[in-house]
Amino acid sequence: MSNIAGKAYAMNVITPIRWYKVWINRLIFKIALSKPSTLKGLVTLSLIHYARWVIIPRDGFPHLDSSQPKENLNYAYMLFFSNFNGSWDQYVDSFTFAIPAGLDLFWKWNVRYPKSVPLSPFHKYIRHNQIDTSHYYNAYPMAASNDVKSAKKLKQALINFNAESASKTSEEFLADYNRLLNYLQHDFGEMRATPIVSLAAHAVKERYLKSHAAH
Amino acid sequence: MATKSGNATALTVLSPIKNGIMDDLSFADITRERCLRLPIHEKSPIARVPNTYLARLFVLDDVVYESLPGSDSVFNFSDITSFFSDTARKDALPRKDRLQSKYLVFSSNFYGDLDAYLTGVWEKWAYDDYGIQRDVRYIWEHCVAFDQVNDCSDFIGYIKKCQLDASLFFNGSTDDSLQEQLKSLYLKQEFTRFVVAHQGKSAAEIQQDFKEFVKRVQPENLNGPSWQPGQSMP
Repeated sequence: MSNIAGKAYAMNVITPIRWYKVWINRLIFKIALSKPSTLKGLVTLSLIHYARWVIIPRDGFPHLDSSQPKENLNYAYMLFFSNFNGSWDQYVDSFTFAIPAGLDLFWKWNVRYPKSVPLSPFHKYIRHNQIDTSHYYNAYPMAASNDVKSAKKLKQALINFNAESASKTSEEFLADYNRLLNYLQHDFGEMRATPIVSLAAHAVKERYLKSHAAH
Repeated sequence: MATKSGNATALTVLSPIKNGIMDDLSFADITRERCLRLPIHEKSPIARVPNTYLARLFVLDDVVYESLPGSDSVFNFSDITSFFSDTARKDALPRKDRLQSKYLVFSSNFYGDLDAYLTGVWEKWAYDDYGIQRDVRYIWEHCVAFDQVNDCSDFIGYIKKCQLDASLFFNGSTDDSLQEQLKSLYLKQEFTRFVVAHQGKSAAEIQQDFKEFVKRVQPENLNGPSWQPGQSMP
């Protein structure tokens, strides 16, 4: 199991939803898509790289060949995949505290969803429906989602500064340089391998270092 | 369809695994073991697939039964009726579903077009499996009808048959290509170090060193010095 790749955590949650309520969920997602302001709450959770919701109708599981038995399900299923930074508790709790109403709107049509407040039943629900990842790949294990965003700002500022100020007199250069540092003060930060966030992740890292040494 | 958000695509693939066993192991367990054995970070085969931001593999053995007590109003009401008969309460319990196949789940967040991406998966996915070179076919080998996949266009067709559309895809990142993101992260790392190392130095010295710094890091050259995909050590 490897739900962790560097600073990112992969969450997979699968929950049943009554087939005759699927259209309500789809409609809510559609509205959320067409009105980006409805996703404002998610944007404030800047620890998220990417997240998705996929609804599989009762007859929607891929069927490829006559040798494959057909599914015979009572419920449709909703898959939720998220890529975020930090620990499981931090993530689940930040959802509860930041966007409880939005969360309930997305999940309340699911069977036995307990609502996001209070916390303990919600934790139990997510843990009960979560499936571990076997292999998780992250293109930048040392970076958090906020690092990716701040790096974009830093790159542009650096390019502009170089074009405008590199050839000025030393004093003018220094004044511009200090202004640049002031502008970027929230965007600096050296990135390193993540500290131990769980013993499982630590074990994966040890194994990785061993295989590194072996080859 | 919400599978795209800006330039990012959410690929969700559920490939059914054959029901059966080989050498006392089910095909699903063999597939799971192969996923677990994949090398991680920069050595992951996915690191070679262009434009992959984040991706995962796991085996969906079954759906989950909602056995936990819920706050269902019908269920609570049936608690009262159970004074006369248990039928209503039993009927209010969630039904139990069982999947007929286990599924290999591949979920990827990547930059750009699906066909170009899947071409990259087919052509670039390669890794060292404790001394043996493997390609993408090794992971999907025991999936239903995968034996009919012989070339790249078969593979693209196969994955599309297993693909599910996202109802909502949230892109919390920058919507730039991976190459652009990696270059930006590299610059953030290097410029942070430069700034720390030049605290309190004279204007002339900072200016001179900055020129050399720019020459070294080449901020606008995406093919110049950068982080490698999956790079896990500074």
